[in-house]
Amino acid sequence: MLGDLGTASLAAGLASATLTALLWLRVALFDAPARIARLGTAATLAAAAVACALLEAALLRHDFSVRFVAENGGRHVPLYYTLTSLWSALDGSLLLWLLVLGGYAALLARRAYPARLHAYAMVVVSVVMLFFFALSSFAANPFRPVSPVPTDGPGPNPLLQQHPAMGVHPPLLYAGYLGLVVPFAFALAAPLAGRDGAGWVRLARPWALAAWAALTGGIGLGAWWSYAVLGWGGYWAWDPVENASLLPWLTATAFLHTTLVRGRVAWHSALACASFLLVLLGTFLTRSGAVASVHAFTDSPLGPMLLGFVLLAVAVSTVLTGRRDPEPARAGRPRALSRPTLVLVNGVLLVAIAAVVLIGTILPLLSAPLNGTRASVGPGYYQRTAVPLAVVVLLVMGVAPALRVRDRSAALRRLAVPAGAGLGTVALVGLLSRPGPAALTAFGAAAFVLTGLAGDALHLRTGPRRRPGRLAGLVAHAGLALVAVGVAGSSAYGRDDERTLRVGETLRVGDVSVRLVGVDRTGGSGSMAVRARLALTTSGRAGPTITPALRYHPARDTAVTVPAIGTGPLRDTYVTLIAVGEDSGSATVRLAVNPLVGLLWAGGALTAAGGLLAAARSARRPRGRADRLPPTAAGTGAGRSASRADRPAPKAVGSGAST
Amino acid sequence: MRWRRVLVALMLVALAAAAGAGLARSAGDRGRPDPVRAVAAELRCPACQGESVADSRSPIAVAMRQVVADQLAQGRDRDEIRRWFVQRYGADVLTDPPDRGVRLLLWGVPALALLAGAYAAVRTLRPRAGRARPAAPRTPGARATRRAWRVASVGVVGLVASVAVVTYRLDPPARPAPADPVAVALQLAHDLETQDRYDAAAQMYQEALRERPDDAVRLRLAFALLRSGDSDGAQRTAREVLGREPNSPDGLLVLGLAQRTSQPVEAERSLRRFLAVAPAHPAAAEIRRLLSPDPAPNGR
Repeated sequence: MLGDLGTASLAAGLASATLTALLWLRVALFDAPARIARLGTAATLAAAAVACALLEAALLRHDFSVRFVAENGGRHVPLYYTLTSLWSALDGSLLLWLLVLGGYAALLARRAYPARLHAYAMVVVSVVMLFFFALSSFAANPFRPVSPVPTDGPGPNPLLQQHPAMGVHPPLLYAGYLGLVVPFAFALAAPLAGRDGAGWVRLARPWALAAWAALTGGIGLGAWWSYAVLGWGGYWAWDPVENASLLPWLTATAFLHTTLVRGRVAWHSALACASFLLVLLGTFLTRSGAVASVHAFTDSPLGPMLLGFVLLAVAVSTVLTGRRDPEPARAGRPRALSRPTLVLVNGVLLVAIAAVVLIGTILPLLSAPLNGTRASVGPGYYQRTAVPLAVVVLLVMGVAPALRVRDRSAALRRLAVPAGAGLGTVALVGLLSRPGPAALTAFGAAAFVLTGLAGDALHLRTGPRRRPGRLAGLVAHAGLALVAVGVAGSSAYGRDDERTLRVGETLRVGDVSVRLVGVDRTGGSGSMAVRARLALTTSGRAGPTITPALRYHPARDTAVTVPAIGTGPLRDTYVTLIAVGEDSGSATVRLAVNPLVGLLWAGGALTAAGGLLAAARSARRPRGRADRLPPTAAGTGAGRSASRADRPAPKAVGSGAST
Repeated sequence: MRWRRVLVALMLVALAAAAGAGLARSAGDRGRPDPVRAVAAELRCPACQGESVADSRSPIAVAMRQVVADQLAQGRDRDEIRRWFVQRYGADVLTDPPDRGVRLLLWGVPALALLAGAYAAVRTLRPRAGRARPAAPRTPGARATRRAWRVASVGVVGLVASVAVVTYRLDPPARPAPADPVAVALQLAHDLETQDRYDAAAQMYQEALRERPDDAVRLRLAFALLRSGDSDGAQRTAREVLGREPNSPDGLLVLGLAQRTSQPVEAERSLRRFLAVAPAHPAAAEIRRLLSPDPAPNGR
């Protein structure tokens, strides 16, 4: 019953998305009124919402006649994880994907932008939407019936039932991924829209910022989840799924920075397109079983179709944005050491890092047909390539803001103190300990950036011109510098040891030690657990008793380690239970001391907050006199045709014409 | 003012020198305390995804760590051990295989991206003068618009149709076989046997059995158990095989040999059956010698 309704809602969504794409095309080509098209977009969103709601209802009611529930539901699963199991497997997560995409489409449809540009952008979004609806209804329909109907299901993957971040991480990540569809749509629409298309960069920027902030938060939460759940003590493994989220983040970061500088239309559209194309490529890589990964979803026939769509999108965006007029020459030669130049340099470096991550991720795929074997790419490769590039990016990030000042020698003087701080940090840390060259340079670069930012912040408060707009960038940059310190510190100074302890024995790492007090076994309905009780001692002082656990999920025949993490301001103690002796008298325990990990989470949160701040500001900022609409035009179709006739074409920030 | 600037410059130079010293000091070997871990970190666990042998907890990784420890104890150095593993299991066993062949792409593609980006950046910073044209406002004719409409609508509907058609046409793609953990486990067990580590070898066979319940593997396990001194386990395993295939020569052989310590009568019966089933077996001569009425005093 629920299943039939769900299939019907997917079919309705597919029909509605197809119709909506055609309706927006009519608006774009024939100046037809946009009201019906807006309704179509709303109807598509409604269909996605209904499909999600139906699947949630089926999960909550344990309706095992629905295939997705039979495969991913379970009577023993707690309510919260039953709710989140909507996105714990491919087919259901596609529904969430549709819901978020539909949400963006509806929001975009309500805005009042130059008519033709708006309509073409909506066509692009609608086509993306209809493709995913088609995938969901034909290839990955979660509502297909099961017979015979099982009485219980295995529940979602146990790893996805361990951490509350599971409820936030995927939706946030999807909000980030799919928000990038808007800049992509604008970039494709601009060449089609003629004069209307000139100002697209300024219109796309708030969307890109919001998506970027969500993506940053999503990546950070993913790292946190990996740290808190997977139990190997790390937060980033250069796993294909993690890489797939990093790729669009890198190009979107480059996009956001190049849009700060006038001109460069080709860069803007290339980066906007690349960001969303990388989202699609990442979806292909992780949702098709093409690459093996810790948290990739299982095999499905989606692979070839997603790949086909990626190739189609690449072809379309190349054709549409590739042909453009050369930018007009500017008077005078640009200075080598200026902020616009450095922003461009950073853009190039970010693209290079993206290339590193991309080839590292897809090489196993490429090498299979070329070479016969699946080559593996380990963390060592990224440490040799991406990490040095990232340190250079950090340095450029520290230099660029100082060059706001026109006077070159004044700019250099402003850099003297940060440079001193950076070099001093390298000298001090390098002479006191041996963290290795990469971590040491990262410390230095972070000190350089943070000192520069502190100076900037003082300048902002006391300077002659108060520019609150810079605060967002400042916060985001500070967050990234903190992340760099966290990464370098935890990888350079982390220590761990692993041993089998009998009750009463002690395992020591540095000045932290754990003594095995006892081993408890508990049996639950859906899972059995073994806990080790360990007394923690830090530098001679007795700490609390901690209980890392091993949980066995019979429904999926997997055991999951649940680490016990003691979070401190400067370092975490991370204890994992690896195995337990048959007589419950001994346990194999891994004790790791991870310094500065807290900075990662704090820095990630700060970076995302900076993005949000910038998004809020740039959305609120009046869009200039030229394209401000009469208030009646917003949200209604009535003012539309009039506004196109009356209004002069918006002046472009992005186009060369305005510079 | 002048002297201040000089002072700042001097200070920066001094700091740079100190930083250089710190870097140089840090660049030296950090002296990993655990040599086994250092070697194991360079080996990829064949049964896991993206984990090194040092980090993984799978039984194969445990056995591989043991092999590393043994070889280190025998005085081999890091490179020799790496070579040993590469010879046995191929270059893919390294977390960082040498960059040859396809792996050159790992450096070529980023280098190309960097060059292309730099070229585009230079072009952007110095646009060639005199080629700029004002963008001509495009006003497509009514016919062209209608044609665009028709083409686009066909395209949109075609996209949906192609997804539908492809779905019904397409079988789920066969998953490319990952590095076969069973094969690695068997190879490893065999290696362990040649080093007389029958205990560990038996464990490895058990691991392989869990993945692939196969009587050939079960017989190897029985032999390993027998040699490690666990004759009960060997008997049990051999009986499992014989339950399915009562005349398995190797099953009879292991069973008989395992019974010799506790049940000499049954042992003789089993071994005679073995001789009857497989008179040409490589071990037959030895068994005949064992069963001859006047066994040599040093018979095993």
